[in-house]
Amino acid sequence: MRRSSNKKTGPSSNSSSSSSPIDLFRSSSSKAVAKELERIDQLFFNSYANGDSGMIEPDGIEVLCSDLGVDYTDIKILMLAWKMKAEKQGYFTLKEEWRRGLKALRADTISKLKKALPELEKEVQRPQVFLDFYSFSFQYCLTEEKQKSIDIESICELLELVLGSQFRPQVDSLIEYLKVQNDYKVINMDQWLSFLRFCLEISFPDLGNYDADQAWPLILDYFVEWMRAKQS
Amino acid sequence: MSTQKRRNFQIEAFKHRVVVDPKYAEKTWNILEHAIHEIYNHNASGLSFEELYRNAYNMVLHKFGEKLYSGLVTTMTMHLREISKSIEDAQGGSFLEELNRKWADHNKALQMIRDILMYMDRTFIPSTHKTPVHALGLNLWRDNIIHSSNIQTRLLNTLLDLVQEERTGEIIDRWLVRNVIMMLMDLGSAVYQEDFEKHFLNVSANFYSVESQQFIECCDCGDYLKKAERRLNEEMERVSQYLDPSSEAKITNVVEKEMIANHMHRLVHMENSGLVNMLVDDKYEDLGRMYSLFRRVPDGLSLIRDVMTSHIRDTGRQLVTDPEKARNPVDFVQRLLDEKDKHDKIISMAFNNDKTFQNALNSSFEYFINLNPRSPEFISLFVDEKLRKGLKGYSEEDVEVVLDKVMMLFRYLQEKDVFEKYYKQHLAKRLLSGKTVSDDAERSLIVKLKTECGYQFTSKLEGMFTDMKTSQDTMQGFHASQATNLGDGPTLVVQVLTTGSWPTQPSPACNLPAEILGVCEKFRMYYLGTHTGRRLSWQTNMGTADLKATFGKGQKHELNVSTYQMCILMLFNNADRLSYKEIEQATEIPASDLKRSLQSLALIKGKNVLRKEPMSKDIGEDDAFFFNDKFTSKFIKLKINTVNAQKESEPEKQETRQRVEEDRKPQVEAAIVRIMKSRRVLDHNNIVAEVTKQLQSRFLPNPVVIKKRIESLIEREFLERDKVDRKLYRYLA
Repeated sequence: MRRSSNKKTGPSSNSSSSSSPIDLFRSSSSKAVAKELERIDQLFFNSYANGDSGMIEPDGIEVLCSDLGVDYTDIKILMLAWKMKAEKQGYFTLKEEWRRGLKALRADTISKLKKALPELEKEVQRPQVFLDFYSFSFQYCLTEEKQKSIDIESICELLELVLGSQFRPQVDSLIEYLKVQNDYKVINMDQWLSFLRFCLEISFPDLGNYDADQAWPLILDYFVEWMRAKQS
Repeated sequence: MSTQKRRNFQIEAFKHRVVVDPKYAEKTWNILEHAIHEIYNHNASGLSFEELYRNAYNMVLHKFGEKLYSGLVTTMTMHLREISKSIEDAQGGSFLEELNRKWADHNKALQMIRDILMYMDRTFIPSTHKTPVHALGLNLWRDNIIHSSNIQTRLLNTLLDLVQEERTGEIIDRWLVRNVIMMLMDLGSAVYQEDFEKHFLNVSANFYSVESQQFIECCDCGDYLKKAERRLNEEMERVSQYLDPSSEAKITNVVEKEMIANHMHRLVHMENSGLVNMLVDDKYEDLGRMYSLFRRVPDGLSLIRDVMTSHIRDTGRQLVTDPEKARNPVDFVQRLLDEKDKHDKIISMAFNNDKTFQNALNSSFEYFINLNPRSPEFISLFVDEKLRKGLKGYSEEDVEVVLDKVMMLFRYLQEKDVFEKYYKQHLAKRLLSGKTVSDDAERSLIVKLKTECGYQFTSKLEGMFTDMKTSQDTMQGFHASQATNLGDGPTLVVQVLTTGSWPTQPSPACNLPAEILGVCEKFRMYYLGTHTGRRLSWQTNMGTADLKATFGKGQKHELNVSTYQMCILMLFNNADRLSYKEIEQATEIPASDLKRSLQSLALIKGKNVLRKEPMSKDIGEDDAFFFNDKFTSKFIKLKINTVNAQKESEPEKQETRQRVEEDRKPQVEAAIVRIMKSRRVLDHNNIVAEVTKQLQSRFLPNPVVIKKRIESLIEREFLERDKVDRKLYRYLA
């Protein structure tokens, strides 16, 4: 089984290494790079990948999580997925995602990967990077073809996970509001992005600088209205 | 050269004479002085003008001009002092007369003296820049008479007393006063102003301040205005009679300020008689007076306008929000029209057709008509009523008047699309039931709507008319083709309605009786034979039928019923008793319609061709129905109406509302896209403003709706938010 999957991915690994002959001539470390790549691939296949699909599937991810000593709902796993630019929730592909992620983290063993995680967390805290991560987290949750929005319940969990540590009071209020309101059943990307912008720009909980004329999505107008009604 | 020679010759001639007589000047002056005395003493008839003129001429010629001039001043001053004394001595009423007489004398004397001294006036005075004789005479009069301490205040007080007397209704000698005033003017407008006008205005101000205070305490607004108007006219007449015309503006100003401006607010708001009462009671004359008086003072008209506006708004708001009045839509609209007529008349009769007042009236109507969300429906119902029967017997012009009034109300509507929705529904019912009184009136209104709102607004309405016409032709063709095999069967009249033009709601066709079904099938064959590729579906919820029924004792009646009712009644050809369930099953009429149809067949007194068991006011699912054998009526023809609310019921209203809202969404989106396509980048507030502007001829879009549509367009990637300035939206081509 494993062998056959080796064969299957064989040509693709060839083609990926064929993109680096230039490096071979240019740098002396190219050999090391090739070695590193090999180890990354090994880690992928030996430990986590499903032989049939050639991908790490939810089972494999669970094993990976326990190897890394983190819960699979931990934000670090989401960050890892972001680093890999993973497309489908619960799956990592070898060619694109796994290699891309681990190379960028300079990790070719599980212990190196474990050590890289705190670094990754720090990187994500940088504002520009965080915005990218934040919008990725939404994209990552779109599991169906042509799906453009996410149900309220999942959005609440995602908010908790992604913004919970940074914007505790905002996230609490927002989640409370989302659960009591009846106007919206799903949240789209535009609204999702505006939540972050709201947390970053609006003073909380007094909401003094919130101006409904400033092109906020309606859901935030309603949220602010709800907040103000609650406060008064 | 030659002129020089001539001058030399003349100068020689001068010298001779001067040398000749050294006492000449003294002598000559004495002659002249004597003459002046004689003139003042009314003895001038013995004097020789020629001699005196020559003497004066010679004195000037011999360079005694100075002596002559100063002699004149002294002599005249002396005489004026005497005159002054005699005027001062005049008692009481004769004072002015004496002054006037002396003034006339002085003028006459001055005239003669000037004539005698004309040469001096012409040559000596200009070259020495002295005051000419006439002006000198006036100045001396001014200084010695008018400004003499004993006369100055007495004169002023006398004049002011006379004015006061006249104001309190006494008759005075206007001629005398006028002469005196003219004297003051002759002495220079400064004299008039300083010695009379200034004080006159002050005294008048006091007078009117006191008087207006009295009036306002004891008069109502109308009377006060009458009095003020009379005072104003009196003052103007006074000026024209005996004051200088330049005083008119000033004195009217005083009256305006004291009598109107100072009491303006109190007058307008005066209890029981103020502006609002005048408006309510249509006091055109009082209102006209108020308008013409108030327009004279600053902010006067705007005060009237503001009070009127808030009054109209208040009464209008009460009118449109009173649930009692909303019960009858036709009355409701008639009240609005009456209100409009009333105020139009006031503005034309009393307010000089003032444009700003008309605008205020219009904006007030626009304000309160839209307070009631059902106004569009009611206006359409009003038209419906008029076009069904209300206009019967009206002349063509009268019809136009009514329609124009309706259009005027239509213009005030913000939600014109709602009106359109209802109008379409009502028009459809009118056309299909053949209830419209006048085709011309219908079309005339459509044309008006078209000019007001454009082609799109009315294209579907016009489509409905076209369908009616085409259907007529089709039916003629159909009947002609069936002429041979028609026999005794039912006659079918079909109206073919184009889908989309008519406000039809898809409703499942009920089961038609077999007899009818046959004719329908024939028609279908005929129609599809000439129009291939079309699809016909029967709208059984909209039709009517005429039935011939025979009752127990053999009496025959013609029943005019709805298609549904026809289906029900036809069942009783084969049965005398049917349960509700059986009827429902046989006809498949929707439950609510079935109940309504049965209700009007069995429960309306005098039209109860069916009998229900048990007897009760409502139709129950377990009821049974019988053919009413014992039915009698004195009418041969009977119209059995379906119980049908004219005004929309609450759920229907909700539904219409929802459909309107749905229809608005694409319009708002189209407007946003149009705007963004041309502007590329725009901020939120401006989009809202422009969308509102673009759509306001149809309805007033809600900002929240606009925001929702923007978000929807963002989701569908027509727009995006600017990455940096989050107020901005960008168009994505």
